[in-house]
Amino acid sequence: MRLSFGPEVEAFRDELGTFLDEHAPAEALAGYDFADSGAETRVDLIPQWARDWQATLFDHGWMIPGYPRELGGRDATPVQTLVYLEEMARRRIPRSLHFPGYAIVAPSLLEFGDDAQQALVAPAIRGDTVWCIGMSEPNAGSDLAGLQTRAELDGDRFVVNGQKVWTSYAMVAEKCFVYVRTNPNVPKHRGISLLIVDMDTPGIDVRPLRHISGAANFAEVFFTDVEVPAANVVGEVNDGWRITQGSLAHERAGLWVEGVCRLESTVQSLVDVAHRQGMDHDSGVRRQLAAFYEQAASLRALGYKGFASFAQGSSAPEHSYLKMATSELGKAAYELGMQLQGPYAPARDSERGEENGRWANMFFMSFANTIAGGSSEIQRNIIAQRVLGLPRA
Amino acid sequence: MDFTLTDEQQMLRDTARTLLAKECPTALVRAHIEDPSVADALWLRLADFAPLAAGPLSDLCLFVEETGYVAAPGPFFATTALFASVLAAAGDDRAQAAQAGEITGTVALAGVDGVWRPNDDPVKCFVPEADRVDWVAVVEPGPTVRVVPPAVLSTRLLNTVDWSRRLFEVEVADVDEASTPIDGAALERAVRCAIVALAAEQVGTARRLFDMALEYAKQRVQFDHPIGSFQAIQHRLADLSLAVERADAAAQYAAMTVDADHDDARRAAHVAKAAAGTAATRAAKDSIQVHGGIGYTWEHDLHLFIRRAYGAEAWLGTTGWHHDQLAALLFDA
Ligand SMILES: Cc1cc2nc3c(=O)[nH]c(=O)nc-3n(C[C@H](O)[C@H](O)[C@H](O)COP(=O)(O)OP(=O)(O)OC[C@H]3O[C@@H](n4cnc5c(N)ncnc54)[C@H](O)[C@@H]3O)c2cc1C
Repeated sequence: MRLSFGPEVEAFRDELGTFLDEHAPAEALAGYDFADSGAETRVDLIPQWARDWQATLFDHGWMIPGYPRELGGRDATPVQTLVYLEEMARRRIPRSLHFPGYAIVAPSLLEFGDDAQQALVAPAIRGDTVWCIGMSEPNAGSDLAGLQTRAELDGDRFVVNGQKVWTSYAMVAEKCFVYVRTNPNVPKHRGISLLIVDMDTPGIDVRPLRHISGAANFAEVFFTDVEVPAANVVGEVNDGWRITQGSLAHERAGLWVEGVCRLESTVQSLVDVAHRQGMDHDSGVRRQLAAFYEQAASLRALGYKGFASFAQGSSAPEHSYLKMATSELGKAAYELGMQLQGPYAPARDSERGEENGRWANMFFMSFANTIAGGSSEIQRNIIAQRVLGLPRA
Repeated sequence: MDFTLTDEQQMLRDTARTLLAKECPTALVRAHIEDPSVADALWLRLADFAPLAAGPLSDLCLFVEETGYVAAPGPFFATTALFASVLAAAGDDRAQAAQAGEITGTVALAGVDGVWRPNDDPVKCFVPEADRVDWVAVVEPGPTVRVVPPAVLSTRLLNTVDWSRRLFEVEVADVDEASTPIDGAALERAVRCAIVALAAEQVGTARRLFDMALEYAKQRVQFDHPIGSFQAIQHRLADLSLAVERADAAAQYAAMTVDADHDDARRAAHVAKAAAGTAATRAAKDSIQVHGGIGYTWEHDLHLFIRRAYGAEAWLGTTGWHHDQLAALLFDA
């Protein structure tokens, strides 16, 4: 057990710091609170500065440090990657405003894609191609394997019919990872395939859905006789379930650092709000905030502990714990931020509300975090069955 | 931060686990309720590990966690985590004897409010094992330390739900022993070590309660299914395991910060004790709920650990007290 990772790793941190000081644009430094919240004031889902910033990170090997140069990295070690995520989160600098491409598509194609598909990886990471993920359907949410969108092989192409929903970025994406049913006559996990679909293919209809916040950054996507080249299947036909398991794991592995850092900075902001609201001597508020601090600090320790075994090659159940805990706590913390404002709790009013309604906005946005990417209930199922070894019903 | 245990630490943990499972069965914890002297033989075995008190807190915590897992009675904690470090801070060479496992000792410091800081109260409270140790280090304002044999003290056992840790109120009558000054910061650091060690011990107790619940959930069948297949039970245990893992990580982190004399040590100690207290008391309640009626019986061992959990929660600062200290650091620093 050691408190620091040693001088080489700290040198890596310094190098990153120097790069960020030199290159990070003002918009990125403004923090990701609003940047990724899809606040209704933002017209452009992926503004030009964000595209430029992602490309800059890629070109300097700082987009995914663990990858090789040609994929926007620098062959960093797992520990260096951890330090990278920590430093970015601490400074609240977003890497990208659209995660599907670099976080889900790229690792999935690297693992399962053929040569032609490998060529899509670099532009996905650099953000040159915007991707969306078509997993969820009206009747397939947590129970993803129940998806019904059909793809039938007809010579050298698939014909796709069906509907996806909650598809983030669908209205700006060039390509989509679409999970489809290719064999309806076998148990549901065994008849699923993954297709790469160009979003400008005839027969695709994208209907934006407004978020709870009022912004539209996800959509319903309808597929009517959409023709997709047979070569666009990723991995083997009917073997798509395996890829879903991989992509969700990729999504989770690095997220905890962001979740924890975000929680810590939220607790600090809550202390400031309490001061401004004259609640800093209220013993109930003080204990509540101390309890948040305790939880954030101990979750950070838990994340590092999980990382220790993760870096040594064993699986780390800590990531399910952290996904569940940081999303639940974040929600509670934002709600406290509202409560500290008494009768102005719901205010989004520059005259009265704290920080122009930040707390109410973030509270509303935070509902998504305990639903998307495996809801808190699903995380508990995973922990109970895969970590604790409890029997399925 | 690197939480990987070294090979030696891994070995220490395994040794402690095996030794304590053998030397401290629940039968001993039960016998100790009527006759505290049954802990003497256990101390003789554990004394071999008293030298951990002279090493890194991280290592002592690994051992102490396992004592919490078996709710070990006796003077090990008081001697290694309190007495040895307070005497070392005072430059008293009985510290070495305690670290060698040659003598046992305890510390009298908290007043009636249970806060472990120098105070004027004539009666010192929450003193562990005060009647059965070789020496009691009484800390008085100054701060100074006076090391006396229990015989010169008037002691009163505080009756609590936890019989595995016996706490006393002690009063020093006129004594000849001289008092020596002790550096305030060094005393504070010694108390911090004890707080972190207690957090580690609580993690052990929480883990025991959790393990008992998990095992029972896998084995008890109702409605033709193991109760552990019911989602209400699964989710309760998932949440509880998070609380235990979180507390474990927090306690280990706190020990590392203390060992490194890191700026974060004060906060980390409060975090560790609060997280561990929360986890252990939650484990107590959840575990008995998962056990149903059998857990409510005297014959079942569960209550031994529920007792330990609630005793430890209240000692060396409750969760609420540690939250107040944290709040002071967050708001007023
Ligand atoms: C902001 C946002 C962005 C999203 N982006 C995308 C995207 O880009 N692509 C995409 O494919 N999807 C996306 N999703 C969809 C997301 O993955 C689903 O919402 C999620 O999988 C849950 O499915 P559902 O909404 O159908 O809820 P349901 O699965 O119907 O769940 C409803 C409730 O039932 C509970 N529940 C369900 N099953 C169980 C069970 N077995 N045990 C206990 N409780 C259970 C859930 O926890 C939840 O509380 C997004 C969602 C949000 C909110």
